[in-house]
Amino acid sequence: MARIKTEKVVITFHTTTQAMYMEQCCKKEMGEGRLIPVPRQISAGCGMAWCAPSQARLELEQIIKTHNIEVEGVYELLL
Amino acid sequence: MSGKKMLVVWGVLLGGIGAVLAFFGNPGNMAFCIACFVRDMAGAARFHQAAVVQYMRPEIIGLVIGSFGISLVTREYRSTGGSSPMIRFLLGIITMIGALVFLGCPLRMVLRMAGGDLNAYVAFVGFVLGAATGSYFLKKGFSLGRAYDTQKVSGYVLPGILALLLVFSVMTTLFTASTEGPGSMHAPAIISLAAGLIFGAIAQKARTCFAGGIRDAVLMKNFDLLIVIGSLFVAMLVYNLAAGAFHLSFAGQPVAHTEHIWNMLGMYTVGLAAVLAGGCPLRQLILAGQGSGDSAVYVAGMFIGAAICHNFGLASSGNGTTGAGRIACVACIIILLALGIVCKREKK
Repeated sequence: MARIKTEKVVITFHTTTQAMYMEQCCKKEMGEGRLIPVPRQISAGCGMAWCAPSQARLELEQIIKTHNIEVEGVYELLL
Repeated sequence: MSGKKMLVVWGVLLGGIGAVLAFFGNPGNMAFCIACFVRDMAGAARFHQAAVVQYMRPEIIGLVIGSFGISLVTREYRSTGGSSPMIRFLLGIITMIGALVFLGCPLRMVLRMAGGDLNAYVAFVGFVLGAATGSYFLKKGFSLGRAYDTQKVSGYVLPGILALLLVFSVMTTLFTASTEGPGSMHAPAIISLAAGLIFGAIAQKARTCFAGGIRDAVLMKNFDLLIVIGSLFVAMLVYNLAAGAFHLSFAGQPVAHTEHIWNMLGMYTVGLAAVLAGGCPLRQLILAGQGSGDSAVYVAGMFIGAAICHNFGLASSGNGTTGAGRIACVACIIILLALGIVCKREKK
């Protein structure tokens, strides 16, 4: 059975290392989400992105600010 | 068609292209090999003098131009650079040393596995361990720094140079070509070029990457890239079985040796270097085509690495590894581990 797509916030990074750092910070701060390959509709690159339900956007942006995480872009996608 | 099914289709198409090249005359279990073909090109341009591995391979040229073309059409072309280019140059050289100790890049490793070459299965273990080591360093904060947008024209340079090489190789006698050995075995140039173009375009769309497949599985439990590679393997396996080219053995395999420890360490080097560089040799060519100056520098490193391997006796042959190759391989692993420890994310 096909999985139902829902609105997600997807955060991309300039480097894989920043994506890994985001994962560490979210674990520490109990931030929602997980690492996924950068969705094809965002980039042809093969990096990693952070994906969470769209309602977690504000909470994640706060974590990014607190930990000085270098972000490339923030997108809202149906995934 | 769902995303996963599409990945299977891409993988089967890539395997199909490999089968076409094998059918039309590329060397045994070497229908498509990034390391071997870059090495052949370096030889054709007289960067090394190994007479049996010299030929300006249209597949490599097509691969980059195919990726360049499709990324322009789909507006995914983006000229970038500035992420530790000299370290990437070094990683390109190291990749080539590891690949020529084993005798093949990750793509050829999979093609050799599909041909029943058990040495490639040993090497696969090394490759997975190398990629897993690289993933560990990524988790610990390894970084070569971010890339920045550069002049759009910067990304045209490598495809442009390769297009010129193709024209010169067809229209002039500027380049040398082997009359015996693997360099003399090749499909007709037009078929090789078409295969390279299509392979490049598909690999760009599917984001095919052998090291990335292992990295994604280790770090994200995501198997998308491995689906493409698995499908490619199955397609080539079916071809080899149908063509009577499947021979399950260690000994007697074409352009291969049976020194297990060095097959494993050679591909360990390639797997680790590829994850640190952000992509396997195939992926680096594709990224260079879609505008990455950093990947183009890595490709230049592979070209020089090929010359170093043959000029200084590092490359293995069907008879086995060389003493110099074994020393170089260990030295490369030490350098990679040092880079993994030293190159850390900048803390703000």
